[in-house]
Amino acid sequence: MNKRGTTLLMLPALLLLAAVFLYPLLRYAWLSLHASSVLTGLVPVPNGGANWGRLLDDARFWTDAVQTLRFALVSVALELVGGLALALLLHRPLRGRGPLRALTLLPWALPTTVMALGWRWILNDPHGPLNAAIRSLGGSSYGFLSTPATTWFFVVLADVWKTMPFVALLLLAGLQTIPLDLEEALRLEGASRLQILRRLTLPLLVPYLSLALLFRLAQALGVFDLIQVLTGGGPAGSTESLALYAYLNAMRFLDFGYASTVMLATFLLLLVLLGGGWLLLRRAGLERTSGRPA
Amino acid sequence: MSPNAGAGLELRQLCRQVGDRRLLDRLDLHVAPGECVALLGPSGCGKSTTLRLVAGLDPASGGQVLLDGEDLSERGPGERQVAMVFQSYALYPHLSVAGNLELGLKVRGMAPRERQRRIDATLELLQLGELRQRRPAQLSGGQRQRVALARALLRDPRIVLLDEPMSNLDAQLREELRPELRRLLCGREQPVIYVTHDQQEAVGMADRIALLEAGRLQQVGSPRELYTNPANRFVASFLGRPAINLLAIEPGRQLGLRPEHLELGDNGAVAARLLRREWWGHQQLLWLDSPWGTLRVLTAPEAPTPPEPRLSWQRQHELWFDPQSGARLAP
Repeated sequence: MNKRGTTLLMLPALLLLAAVFLYPLLRYAWLSLHASSVLTGLVPVPNGGANWGRLLDDARFWTDAVQTLRFALVSVALELVGGLALALLLHRPLRGRGPLRALTLLPWALPTTVMALGWRWILNDPHGPLNAAIRSLGGSSYGFLSTPATTWFFVVLADVWKTMPFVALLLLAGLQTIPLDLEEALRLEGASRLQILRRLTLPLLVPYLSLALLFRLAQALGVFDLIQVLTGGGPAGSTESLALYAYLNAMRFLDFGYASTVMLATFLLLLVLLGGGWLLLRRAGLERTSGRPA
Repeated sequence: MSPNAGAGLELRQLCRQVGDRRLLDRLDLHVAPGECVALLGPSGCGKSTTLRLVAGLDPASGGQVLLDGEDLSERGPGERQVAMVFQSYALYPHLSVAGNLELGLKVRGMAPRERQRRIDATLELLQLGELRQRRPAQLSGGQRQRVALARALLRDPRIVLLDEPMSNLDAQLREELRPELRRLLCGREQPVIYVTHDQQEAVGMADRIALLEAGRLQQVGSPRELYTNPANRFVASFLGRPAINLLAIEPGRQLGLRPEHLELGDNGAVAARLLRREWWGHQQLLWLDSPWGTLRVLTAPEAPTPPEPRLSWQRQHELWFDPQSGARLAP
């Protein structure tokens, strides 16, 4: 088939993508150059880039950016390490491996909202099970979700608990593509388990690790539902993410012009981070393992 | 080392059982230093199982593996100094040819300079110098096989095991590579075990053939011994293409006659009718209908077929078997 024909066949998909992706993006860009709030009667009025000026001076935006980044990096790092350990465990020939694999996936299958509500109840002060346990051991109730440090810890914990299975699943799929005889060949050379992991398994998992990293990073940087339900961004905004801030601007402050600006800025930030990460990974060996022998 | 211990590799009563499946049943086999023994047999006969037991990759359910009289049974695969060429070659896809060779030495903690020296020497021996920076995916099947062989021979193993090293190559390449493989393997000190399901390859590569079926050793000996003096019906019918004719001409006895031992003439014991002719260039194979069923007969390529052919043979070529057990019977 010639090139023109190929392009023609791709056109419907491209049009669909443009409609659901490109159009909203352009619309945001347009809106971010307008004032559109209750003050203007929700009618967009051009304001000459005032929104972007406001963004640069908006301490709340930059605080949220740092908080979001910190949340994403810490939780994704923990998920990768934990997911790898879990995948290695589930890859071993264990008794009852099938049900165990299914069980591991359960947290991931749970809707985030339900999961977050569950955590909120567990951590409730003073009625939640965690505080009940502390009291029965002779302690006194603690406001887990009213102290910034513990709140942050539990937000990360909940995210890791929920998405580590996804990472494990992805890496497990990767592990299963590694032929067993590669490991056996290395065992015949006298390699220890740790050497096999370091010299063979991890290098061959790089494409899957990269994929997991990019997927998870993209999701974690856009985190919204978990935080909205578990903490509402609190206490004192200490867990507020960029997505949550954009949402608040639009739905609570009804400032659509500025909300679009925050949204677009978040998107650009994400693009730079992920693009950079992707390039780095590619250099580190993504293409190195592509094209295995038949 | 006990005084009467034999040199070379010795398998004693080696067994492997998984659940109630007997994969290998009391195998006794001796491979002398520098000797190449082919383990031959159909799929699932236990030949790869044997190899994995010798390498220590699977645990034996019984028996011993002895090398120069020393019991290896309790040692892990990394402590046996065994080299193995896998059917898939098992090259590390993320490493170059040189990297594939180097990894094992690195794992053993060899100094970089010594590693380099060995790699260079082996690459030269196998004429792989120009490919040293290539990745396995960029190599042809034959080149991959040579890299796998280089990796196996690199660190002077005490035993060399080859698991169907040619089965991923096309027939022509297989024949071309055979002399080279023999040059590299023979004339060394190690015992070599070569697993294959291809009898041509076994004959071409090995000094002796051990024929296995259903986890049991059927016969071991030179190709000539196995062919001319098979221990049972399985050996007789597994070796030789076209396959031996098995005729139920007497109650309680089955007669085996090789296709090249049947003669076509105007007078003979049995009348036959020509069904089909396969012309192979150096020979021709005739399919004949006879009162004993369809028979295969090999003749010279231009030999004329009589209009009413009759079959005969010489007594010395008769092989008699028990129809039930397949055991060889005295003539």
